[in-house]
Amino acid sequence: MSDALFALALPTALLWPLVLMLRVSLTVARTERGQPRALLDGLWCTAPLPALALALGSDEGALALDWWLLGGRWMLDGTRGPLLAFTALLWLLAGGYARGYLAGEQARAVAGDGAAEVRLTRFALLWPLTLSGNLLLLVAEDIASFYLGFAVMTFAAYGLVVHAETRDARTGGRAYLVMAVLGEGLILAGLLWGAGSAGTTMLDGLREGMLEAPGGAWMGLLLWLGFGVKAGVVGLHFWLPLAHPVAPTPASAVLSGVMIKAGLVGWLSTLPLGEPTAGETFVWLGRAMLVAGLAAAIGAALYGVCQRHPKVVLAYSSVSQMGMATALVAMGLVAPTLWPTLSAAVVLFAAHHGLTKGALFLGVGIGKHPPRLPTWLLWTLLALPALSLTGALASGLAAKWAVKAVLYDGGYPTMVTGLSLAAVGTTALMARTLWCQWQGKGQAREEGLEPLMSPMPLAWLATLLAALTLPWWLGGELMVRGWPPLDELSGLLWPLALGLVGAVTAWSVARRRPLRLTWRLPPGDLWWPLVRSGQRLRTRAQGSLDRLGSAQGAWVAWWVARERDAIRALDGMTRGEGWLRRHAAVLMMGLAVGLALLNVFAPA
Amino acid sequence: MSGALIILATLGTSLFTAVMIFLLPERAFRARTGLNLGAALVKLGLVAWMVWGLSRGREYTLAFPVLEGLAFVLRTDSLGIMFAGLSSLLWLFTTVYAIGYLEDSPNRKRFFGFFSLCVASTLGISLAGNLFTLLVFYELLTLSTYPLVVHRGTAKALAAGKVYLRFTLPAGLVLMIGMVALHALAGDIRFGQQEILAELAPGRRPLLVGIFWVLIVGFGVKAALVPLHGWLPRAMVAPAPVSALLHAVAVVKAGAFGIVRLVYDIYGVELSAELGLLHGLVAVASVTILYGSLRALAQQELKPRLAYSTVSQVSYIVLGIGLFGPLGTIAALSHLLHQGLMKSTLFFCAGNYAEELGIHRIDELDGAGRRMPLTSLAFSVGALGMIGVPPVVGFLSKWYLGTGAIQADMPWVIVVLLASSLLNAAYFLPILGRLWFRPGPDHGVGEWPAERRPVRLETLAWLLVPAVATALFSLMAGVLAGMPFSPLEWTTRVVNTEYLP
Repeated sequence: MSDALFALALPTALLWPLVLMLRVSLTVARTERGQPRALLDGLWCTAPLPALALALGSDEGALALDWWLLGGRWMLDGTRGPLLAFTALLWLLAGGYARGYLAGEQARAVAGDGAAEVRLTRFALLWPLTLSGNLLLLVAEDIASFYLGFAVMTFAAYGLVVHAETRDARTGGRAYLVMAVLGEGLILAGLLWGAGSAGTTMLDGLREGMLEAPGGAWMGLLLWLGFGVKAGVVGLHFWLPLAHPVAPTPASAVLSGVMIKAGLVGWLSTLPLGEPTAGETFVWLGRAMLVAGLAAAIGAALYGVCQRHPKVVLAYSSVSQMGMATALVAMGLVAPTLWPTLSAAVVLFAAHHGLTKGALFLGVGIGKHPPRLPTWLLWTLLALPALSLTGALASGLAAKWAVKAVLYDGGYPTMVTGLSLAAVGTTALMARTLWCQWQGKGQAREEGLEPLMSPMPLAWLATLLAALTLPWWLGGELMVRGWPPLDELSGLLWPLALGLVGAVTAWSVARRRPLRLTWRLPPGDLWWPLVRSGQRLRTRAQGSLDRLGSAQGAWVAWWVARERDAIRALDGMTRGEGWLRRHAAVLMMGLAVGLALLNVFAPA
Repeated sequence: MSGALIILATLGTSLFTAVMIFLLPERAFRARTGLNLGAALVKLGLVAWMVWGLSRGREYTLAFPVLEGLAFVLRTDSLGIMFAGLSSLLWLFTTVYAIGYLEDSPNRKRFFGFFSLCVASTLGISLAGNLFTLLVFYELLTLSTYPLVVHRGTAKALAAGKVYLRFTLPAGLVLMIGMVALHALAGDIRFGQQEILAELAPGRRPLLVGIFWVLIVGFGVKAALVPLHGWLPRAMVAPAPVSALLHAVAVVKAGAFGIVRLVYDIYGVELSAELGLLHGLVAVASVTILYGSLRALAQQELKPRLAYSTVSQVSYIVLGIGLFGPLGTIAALSHLLHQGLMKSTLFFCAGNYAEELGIHRIDELDGAGRRMPLTSLAFSVGALGMIGVPPVVGFLSKWYLGTGAIQADMPWVIVVLLASSLLNAAYFLPILGRLWFRPGPDHGVGEWPAERRPVRLETLAWLLVPAVATALFSLMAGVLAGMPFSPLEWTTRVVNTEYLP
């Protein structure tokens, strides 16, 4: 793509969602309240289309805008291109799905339900806004644009999370926002510190500066934790199982599929990965990341299988998968020489997880509103992305092989074992998801079948297709290792077998003696004790704030009292003056007499 | 036009308007409005002319001796013209807003007369060429603001006015003592002649430190540094346009601007750093920033929360001054402009909610976004800017403060910035949540405290346009920060040409 065309196409890709958002607000402003209006029309769905065309049509390009913020620089390269492609594609398909998913809401709004109308308008406005933030952060090379994209995406997505306005949605939204603000703060601190020491406004300058700056690893730690909030690093992950399930299904799909990847993109753009000159402290940071990543990958799987709602199970699966991604990114610090080949595998893994998780989330909605398909076909289709996520076929197999081959060659078999254990957990999670969906299917059948040719099933099938065929249409340079040879398959598939055996055993045990465990492990694990201690802290802080206020009041009162004293002293003087005036003659007389007496009796 | 004449014309525009408004009868609404707007536009034009002239290297000076060795000096330099530009631009919006806000209320003649006088003094402060001239206009500002604060004439307003005078008049006195001491020590120092104090005998240094802190106390009252901030939250009983004036354009800014002049143009930043004055400033500013944010969090009403937020935000300017190095200076000077744009937006919006719906408490704001979408959008822009979310200008201030802190080798300042950002988020985001995500009277839940008659727009155009315009300016100044004549670009130029340490 020529430079001029690129300079036109990139701003178009970023601005088109905003134009559509403006169109929605104009439509709302123009029509009277209560009149029917179709906000989620075909044009609205095209929001990510220019970005997708750009990602597929152009490999490389850069655009510098000196007047933008602190100096803008947007670009596309071998890493950003694939990320942009799968991001835009999932947004496009989820947008199409949303048309069908929110059709009921639309009907209620047309029928005069004010609350539904408000919700629908909000969704129609915030969806493209979130999208534009997500796209900007992917192409930004200057720190300000990157942070802008991240912040816009984060804050606009709050509206998507609380869409349903139920109590759960509010809890999820609150957890989301509190953690998001905390994450933004950590990121800002890391960016300011890093950019301030390096004297740069660009991301590559930041990465280079961190290597030389004293305390560079601490900047890295701030950035890792800050972006880790979004990516669900263990300990900061608990908003995910609260927020992702309560959002409308298409929003859950993009939250869990692509927005969570923004954290990963943040790591890739700010951490000095694959730099052999990085000091020992960075290696220690990498080790910490590695341990945290593997802990999340296995721990989230253990906690997730005890959940009852399919979307919650999927959210825990996202935590687990992002734990694997964290461990892989950590290898960029622990073993910098591996990074050039591993980075391609990480991008492939991200794209695979994004689209597959998108297909799984969209599938939850399909399970509730099944289309006119034979039951066996429907459930095979629902199981396909689950199998792919465990690494048994298609994109999952490709990604798994890409990661495993690099790690084996680099001499990290322990790491491979850790990831394989996590894959056993993934299998269990997927089995649990499908089981939860199966249990809810009877009710869904009674509510009637959707026609196959409606937006929801079509978008779901398209996502499924895109996810499964990922290695063929996006693979290209990312598939450094190609497909695994046949004799390696047994080494790749044993976690699946083990997971399946475990799941079947657990199922047969639980059928005979139902476990009560699930009631005691609420979704959002750490959130609940934190909320309780937060409330306690708040009562105490409220007390000290009140004390601060009363201390200020006392201080002011002290000054007012001093002022009153001063005025009283002045009044006293006035009175004294009056007294002097009244008794002046007597006093003078006394004085004169006294002086005279002094004269008379003074010793001569 | 000669240099002296154009300065005189700029200053005279507001003074002349003040006199004319006092002469016009109370009922001459149209003439007064025309005069106000005309003068605001003429002044903006004159200031723009001077900005242009200054960027081409022209000088505008007006000076005459008052006493032996003491002169009255008006002079444009790039720092002064920056402040003049801000006050002229915001004066235009505030005037438009005040015309709409005070529609049908009594004593408009008095209000607009003192309003013009107040702006004339602000302009005088920005164009003053030495401490004496600055002090003259500083005192004039104190006196001309008092009638505006007590405009409503209620017991609460009168009490607030009394507190205001209690703080500001002694501060003026302290300032004068400091000025006289400095004059006795070194004679008449024009702004920019930093070498005079730098070349004093080393034995005089302790005295210089003492005078510095005396002057800081004098300026610190208007700049609302803790513990001298007490008058500011009380003064929010004034009408909304006055609050915007107090918090964003004139009074608080005059104090901060005085500190800027003191550090950069009288003591010089190197001398201040040598004397260890900057560390003190950073400490005072950090305490003020955190204290203001904490107190804002505890407020249940909208305007007091905004007032405490001002206490916190204005100290960013002082913090930037204290960070020795070009980035800190850029942060200080640009935040002078940025805070003005964002804070006036917030106060305009708070006034709109109060006027249109009778909302004063934060918990009454539920669902107001649907009833007043443009006002709420403007408020959101201002609030997000205060938190430091790009692309609103507040982000740029925080960016330069943070990188400046690293440059000045004070990384702990980032912790203060971070804590303040989190506190800002904690007291602004719930408001935004109520505006946009809670069902309110417009969704059929409850009713507004006192809704005014419906108009075609969400509220009077006189009230809506200034709020939206300042919000747009705060947004554009951030997005187009790299453009020539943007606040950031201009301050960078000022710092590079005049204040490089």
